[in-house]
Amino acid sequence: MKTILEAIELTKIFKTGKIEVAAVQEVSLKVREGEFIAIMGPSGCGKSTLLHLLGGLSTPTSGRVLVDGEEVSSGKDAVRTDIRRRKIGFVFQRFNLLPTLSAQGNLEIAQEIHRNGSRNRKHVEEILNLLGLEKKTHHKPSELSGGEQQRLAIARAVINRPAILLADEPTGNLDTRNSMVVLKMIQELNRALSQTILMITHNPEAASIANRLIEMRDGRIVSQQQDGEWNRAEDRMSL
Amino acid sequence: MRSLATALAVGVEVALILLLVSLSSGMLRENSKRISGVGADIVLQPPNSSLVLAASTGAMSVKIADLVSRIEKVRAVAPVYLQLNTSGGLGLVWGIDLESFDRITQGFIYLEGRGFQGPNDVIIDDIYAEGRELRLGDEVKLMNHAFHVAGIVEHGKGSRVFIPIGTMQELVGTPRQATLMLITCHQPSDIPQVTAELERRLKSYPVFDMSSFAAQVEEANRDFGPIKFFTNTVVFIATLIGFFIIFLSMYTATTERTHEIGILKSLGANQGYISLLFLKEALMLGGLGFLLGLGLTFGGRLFFQWLMPTLHHQLPLWWLLFTGFLALFSAGLGALYPALRAARQDPIEALAYE
Ligand SMILES: Nc1ncnc2c1ncn2[C@@H]1O[C@H](COP(=O)(O)OP(=O)(O)OP(=O)(O)O)[C@@H](O)[C@H]1O
Ligand SMILES: [Mg+2]
Repeated sequence: MKTILEAIELTKIFKTGKIEVAAVQEVSLKVREGEFIAIMGPSGCGKSTLLHLLGGLSTPTSGRVLVDGEEVSSGKDAVRTDIRRRKIGFVFQRFNLLPTLSAQGNLEIAQEIHRNGSRNRKHVEEILNLLGLEKKTHHKPSELSGGEQQRLAIARAVINRPAILLADEPTGNLDTRNSMVVLKMIQELNRALSQTILMITHNPEAASIANRLIEMRDGRIVSQQQDGEWNRAEDRMSL
Repeated sequence: MRSLATALAVGVEVALILLLVSLSSGMLRENSKRISGVGADIVLQPPNSSLVLAASTGAMSVKIADLVSRIEKVRAVAPVYLQLNTSGGLGLVWGIDLESFDRITQGFIYLEGRGFQGPNDVIIDDIYAEGRELRLGDEVKLMNHAFHVAGIVEHGKGSRVFIPIGTMQELVGTPRQATLMLITCHQPSDIPQVTAELERRLKSYPVFDMSSFAAQVEEANRDFGPIKFFTNTVVFIATLIGFFIIFLSMYTATTERTHEIGILKSLGANQGYISLLFLKEALMLGGLGFLLGLGLTFGGRLFFQWLMPTLHHQLPLWWLLFTGFLALFSAGLGALYPALRAARQDPIEALAYE
């Protein structure tokens, strides 16, 4: 299987005044095409920071990130922005929809940015139907429930078929029922469309739908398990 | 709401410029029309005189009138003494010799009263009379001297206010002097010949045919230093205000929308896309402001016409376009820094913005 994303000895050090925080330390990671990876770990262990580095939202202090063979860790904002546009979809805990645009508008603007201007209304309608949001096409995000908003945000992230979907606690703001719906949708994306996914979560149930689990602590990856090792991992965690 | 206030402010900027230009240019046009309405064929000015008649200090002897009248094909000559009157409103007063002036103009059309009966009589036109609610016999103060209205005439013949040239010369202290000679020929076809003869005999005296004189007076007044300076200053300040208003408005807007900028960046929108987004918005505000300004100008014009019916308005198309350009230009320039600042935001900080 082709490697879609590769991190090589990634380190990110934040300096606030004289205090240095090593949020991510020498993380190396390979994500293969079609994989669904969950990242878990205690609060402050550097999960979000790692995701930002992988998605080219920030630059590492040292190390490299390759997405689909392209170097994302370059210092140049324009280069990173361009790779984000073509290769990466983000989903966040706060849904991050554009409040002034309708559901349809939020999908269309993603298309517009991706294609440098053009929109494809038909594709937008298909996706909205698929999500069961066809009746809410013209609703503003504030007029949608949390679950609907997150589904829309996921649709927006994948509408341009990114090489990888990076999700940072996508169910963190949702109740159990809505979490289930959103997780189903993410799983479906992975199974039906072979969408490569890397998802941060605090929820072991959410992590269980992934086919690889990565645990972080203090900025480092401390363990990795494949599908088969699943139950043992959970056992260990509950000990 | 803020957008509307911003557009309205740009509108006021636009209206300020357009009303000023429309008023001053209307006044100049009306002035030049009145000058050509005198009916003279040729105008003779003394040496070193200015086409800005209000500021002209040159004078010549009225004896020149005799010399001119002896030139072949000259039908009539009228010496006129122009003086700027500053008491009770600004305006040019013409000192005329009624007899010769009537020969040039084919005579005033008297709506009320008649010509000068004494040295302290004044003839005014209907617009002047109406604007100041003057009737026959009323006192008018001109150049710190009291005159009485002897006649009210139809407007359009040179000035709005005429006094006897003798009284004018006395008041100014320049006996037997004139600032203009108005000349008519027997036939329009005689004009070139008479002009040539005048130029030959009176070498340093500027000679104009009437149409070019009126046009040049209008042009000269427009370019007259103080007027031009005043207009330019108002235009500059109005544009500057427009710039700052858009700047502030866009600065606030980009700050308020930091989170949205972060979202766009996470979707891969580059700096050009984001700055263009705000530039477009500012240009829309500028354009809307310009349209509001046109409305305000129109309203302001109606208001001025009601307030001061004697004022004339004229808005050259060129100024309309130029003001539109200024509105858009100041909007674009004002939005430039906020737009670039917005585009350069760090995406993670922007996304974390509440
Ligand atoms: N911009 C920043 N400046 C300074 N320190 C930062 C910054 N961003 C993150 N950190 C620090 O880096 C460490 C890792 O933060 P990060 O947000 O990656 O944790 P996390 O694993 O996502 O936590 P959580 O589960 O709570 O979201 C933390 O100690 C945090 O305080
Ligand atoms: Mg986090």
